[in-house]
Amino acid sequence: MTRLIVDPLTRVEGHGRVELLLEGDRLHDVKVRLLESPRLFEALVVGRRYDEVPDLICRICAICSAVHKLTSLQALEKAMDVVVPPMAVALRELLLLGGHIQSHALHLFCLILPDLRDSTDVVALLSQQDPLAKAGLDLKAFGNRIQQVAGGRIIHPINPVFSGVAYFPERGDLDDLAAELTNWQRDWPDFAKNFSQAGNYPESSRVLGNAVATGQADAFSLTGEHLWHEKTAAVPVSDYAGLLDERSRKDSHAKDAAGEAGPFLTGALARARLAAIRGLSVTMTEDNLGIHENNIAQVREIEWALQRAGQLLDLLLSADRAEPLQALPKAPRAGVGTAAVEAPRGLLVHHYVVDEWGTVVAADIVTPTSINQRVMAAQIMVDLVDEQDHQRLMTVAERIVRAYDPCISCAVHLVPVAASSASARILDH
Amino acid sequence: MKFKTPIKLAWLRFTSCSGCQLMFVNCESSLADLAKIVVLDTFPLVSSASGKSEPVDIALVEGSVSTPSEIERLLSIRRNSHLLVAIGACALTGGVNTLVKGERSRSLAAIYGDQGADWDTFSPQPVHHFVRVDGRIPGCPPERHELLESIGAILQGGWRGHQVMPVCMECRSNENRCLLTEDHAPCLGPVTAAGCNALCPGLGVPCEGCRGRVPEANRDELFNLLIEAGLSEQEIRHRLERFGDALYDQADR
Repeated sequence: MTRLIVDPLTRVEGHGRVELLLEGDRLHDVKVRLLESPRLFEALVVGRRYDEVPDLICRICAICSAVHKLTSLQALEKAMDVVVPPMAVALRELLLLGGHIQSHALHLFCLILPDLRDSTDVVALLSQQDPLAKAGLDLKAFGNRIQQVAGGRIIHPINPVFSGVAYFPERGDLDDLAAELTNWQRDWPDFAKNFSQAGNYPESSRVLGNAVATGQADAFSLTGEHLWHEKTAAVPVSDYAGLLDERSRKDSHAKDAAGEAGPFLTGALARARLAAIRGLSVTMTEDNLGIHENNIAQVREIEWALQRAGQLLDLLLSADRAEPLQALPKAPRAGVGTAAVEAPRGLLVHHYVVDEWGTVVAADIVTPTSINQRVMAAQIMVDLVDEQDHQRLMTVAERIVRAYDPCISCAVHLVPVAASSASARILDH
Repeated sequence: MKFKTPIKLAWLRFTSCSGCQLMFVNCESSLADLAKIVVLDTFPLVSSASGKSEPVDIALVEGSVSTPSEIERLLSIRRNSHLLVAIGACALTGGVNTLVKGERSRSLAAIYGDQGADWDTFSPQPVHHFVRVDGRIPGCPPERHELLESIGAILQGGWRGHQVMPVCMECRSNENRCLLTEDHAPCLGPVTAAGCNALCPGLGVPCEGCRGRVPEANRDELFNLLIEAGLSEQEIRHRLERFGDALYDQADR
């Protein structure tokens, strides 16, 4: 038996590794291990006051810091029955879109593009004056400028606060964003073409997993009150635990705690599929690159996000600046709140229980990469089962993991995931 | 010493959110210039290149240390780098990772189930508990300009130095409204090291102390001011400990 190990996985966020076991010449077993040290966020927020928790929780992950902060605020506001005023909702959504553009640009141009160019990294591409690398970084910088204006800081934003936002951005800053946005809306389709050529990606079979995402029924959106699922009826976000069953089981060392509607697929491709089912084809792709189609779905989402950000900027620029930015203060109350938001790499759920003094007494966080864990290993198995070249096995396995745009810091679950040829066949039913 | 360009840079990340290395990639418009003077030797988030065999010029270390294998990697990079720079609150003080209270194995079991209790991890520690640290870049996250200035200064054979004044001084020079005395908001500006140009208070958001304590911080006086502002003792402690309340600057300088 031969064991091939890719460690550390590169050009992905966080520390993970892939183990490929070969029996004879044939791939027999795949393990994807997420090797982050546990940071115990669900424990460290317990005993802390509701308004302190969002500032701590965004430190789970820098790339997803805006979406973590916003999801936690939404869940806590639900728990305490606080309704956020419309201007604050608009500013928060703009921040979310800035984070989405930034993260997708990071993934496409810094993590994926070097594969398309047969290079090691984007810095090497820049030293060869690669025009696409430069344009991609410009787009990434634009996403960060949106985060800066709407959130006050490009990592761990400070403007979103409990019950609303702290301040309304300067008009001049919003004007600048609107002007730059027009240029990107014009130029993006040209840049985007570079990612959709099939020859750029390894061959990949059908994508495994049942898509799951939140979103609205009648418009493509990153937020929603329901979890949509390819095979079953939509459920309210508060029923997330029943659908995903993410928790480790008490009665065993169960690593395979996924719900019956699984194995799940989450991320841009899952959002595109579920939107198409709801008749919203804004981010539709042709779906012929296997799991690498997730990159194309991100490309389409950037286009959507640029458009949506334009609508929000119009709204904010015509807004009455005297409108309230925060709900009226009220005494804390006991409650339970769950919120789901689409992070760039998939579904993120925050759930809190708060006591009558506003102290968090329990927390649960489900992250996209932990949802995708099961299918990642299985996808490697089905895509590479006939591959015999060792170097290619390792390279392509890494590219498959990369295609999910995993965020291993977020996942923090140290659970090793395995797929044998038998389980991959079951997953591929 | 002065380094020959291009300098070899390794980035090691331990228990953290990846924010410090994301700040490196966030230097978007400067990356092309950096590409002329820096070669990424080991930087898993950004590059699939992995040198490992030869020594590097600068090792940037992000995150706190919380497993035996992280100690091994840290010792190995210390041996194989000329300069080791600790970056970010987690590397400097342990950061938010240290806020988990009580017996660690119980927290592990509560979140991850029975299997969690067996994991080989300990309470997160700052990098200087294990190795000599040649330079520090504070913040959660650090500012982009600090990262670029630090690399630039090292190239010139020096170090950009540490801030010895509090955030309040930057608020004063920017003529910001004082959130602590005028609004009675829980601002940690008086005890927090400057260098961020008072970013948060400038936007009306109280300082949360992410850059660590300024040397000779008057914590007692701040404590009294925060009591006057209406915070309970526990709320004040929670706020002060968010990024580590230890005076690491004094202990280690």
